Amino acid sequence: MSTLTVEGLSVRYGGVRAAQDVTFTVEPGQSLGIIGANGAGKTSTLKAIMGLAPRQARTIRFGDDDLLRAAPHTLVRRGIGYVPEGRHVFPGLPVEKNLLLGAYCRTWKKTPIDEVYDLFPVLGDMRHRLAGTLSGGQQQMLAVGRALMCRPKVMLLDEPSMGLSPILVAEIATVLKRLNADGLGIVLVEQNAKLTFEVTTTCLVMENGEIAATGTSHDLRHDPQVRRIYLGL
Amino acid sequence: MQVFLQTLIGGITFGAVYALVAMGFSIVYRTMGLVNFAHGSVVMIGAYAASTFYMASKVPFAVAIVVAIVVTGLIGLIIERFLRPLENKDFTLMLIGTIGFGAVLEALAILIWGATGHAVPSPVATEPLNLGGVRIPTYSLLVIGVAALATTMLAFFLRRTKLGAAMQAVAMDHEAATACGIHVGRSNAMAFGIGACLAAVAGSLIGPMLYVNPTMGGTLGIKGFAAAMLGGFGSMPGAIVGGIAFGLLDAFAAGNFQAYSELVTFVVFALAVMIRPTGIFGEATVNRA
Repeated sequence: MSTLTVEGLSVRYGGVRAAQDVTFTVEPGQSLGIIGANGAGKTSTLKAIMGLAPRQARTIRFGDDDLLRAAPHTLVRRGIGYVPEGRHVFPGLPVEKNLLLGAYCRTWKKTPIDEVYDLFPVLGDMRHRLAGTLSGGQQQMLAVGRALMCRPKVMLLDEPSMGLSPILVAEIATVLKRLNADGLGIVLVEQNAKLTFEVTTTCLVMENGEIAATGTSHDLRHDPQVRRIYLGL
Repeated sequence: MQVFLQTLIGGITFGAVYALVAMGFSIVYRTMGLVNFAHGSVVMIGAYAASTFYMASKVPFAVAIVVAIVVTGLIGLIIERFLRPLENKDFTLMLIGTIGFGAVLEALAILIWGATGHAVPSPVATEPLNLGGVRIPTYSLLVIGVAALATTMLAFFLRRTKLGAAMQAVAMDHEAATACGIHVGRSNAMAFGIGACLAAVAGSLIGPMLYVNPTMGGTLGIKGFAAAMLGGFGSMPGAIVGGIAFGLLDAFAAGNFQAYSELVTFVVFALAVMIRPTGIFGEATVNRA
């Protein structure tokens, strides 16, 4: 099975502790949300899984692969897609080339590029435009589409709703639910708790680098403490 | 008019070589955000490798260029490999490391070939073409042709191949490139290797036009660097236009101001960069996180 297992993950930048003892598992078809305020350690957690932040952990495993020993650029080949915070498209390259680079580890003759254009028709219309000229929402779709190009089994998304209008957030949510229903495992890091509860079945609440609460998204949505602290209700 | 056209041809010929040197600076800068101060010395090694092999073995000049490309390409890869551990730790040290490598290459050249240098016979012995009173040396045509070929091949590589696209991706965003499965270190090594190959072509071509000596890298390095800045550091079209512009500037200054020509060239260059700090094709400053 391709289960992403994270046990006892800590991230430290010099003397500063960004995340401490984070533990969770995600299987294909499951969805996990990680919510929390700015600086709670959500982004650091994802980066550390990808090997892009200094990390210590008992276990980071994907199926039988020990990711603690894997070079960061090999993770996509193993079936983990990553959509970094702040979109991070390649601004000076056309949309189509951005997508093809998502399939860098495959031959470019057989890529699911048409499926991505199906999912986000607007990208198909703009395939020859430079990615840097797209709107924020389109760039976010491009970042998600690019991560799908290698047919990941689990996808890590870092704040896909950032800076988007409510309509676009709803659109992203629809796509994520559809991908999840098709069997993709999702780890969604968000400040937007409403979106997270809508898309995911299980949630972690992070505070000061630690997991402050865990539960089903349904329960957490109605938990008075979570509502007060994270939803401002 | 005749003098003007004659100077123009000379300027474009040298400009083509400066453009090659500038492209080498730019491809490393684009990919890594690093100014490779050893680049001038790599050009010098390229000039030595090509000329020595050409004169000793009497093979066609093209073969000598290929030999020089292989030699400097390897040197480029070695430099990158030594600097790689510093990339995420100390960028300033990396920069100083390139200066150090430049000094090492110069010292090596003196050890191998001596301090005095040698002249290189022109590989094409035919008479200059006479076009309405303007004499075009056949070697100039060769230089411009080879430079154009190298530029076309580089453009094809960057625009049409998967590896080229990956290299551009690394230049734009390290993190996203890694998430796409691209090995950033390998891509950097490739940039260094390609930069060194361009240096070899430039060095091979300039050999018969100048006196090949261990310190020629300093002058060529500065001029290529200036050409890259003039065009917009990191931009490939900028490197070409900047190179030609600098060659012309150089040629006309030499024709009109004789002993002060270098002074005039660099004063005009400084003014141009003061007026437009980003260069002709420059984007806003490239910042490296």
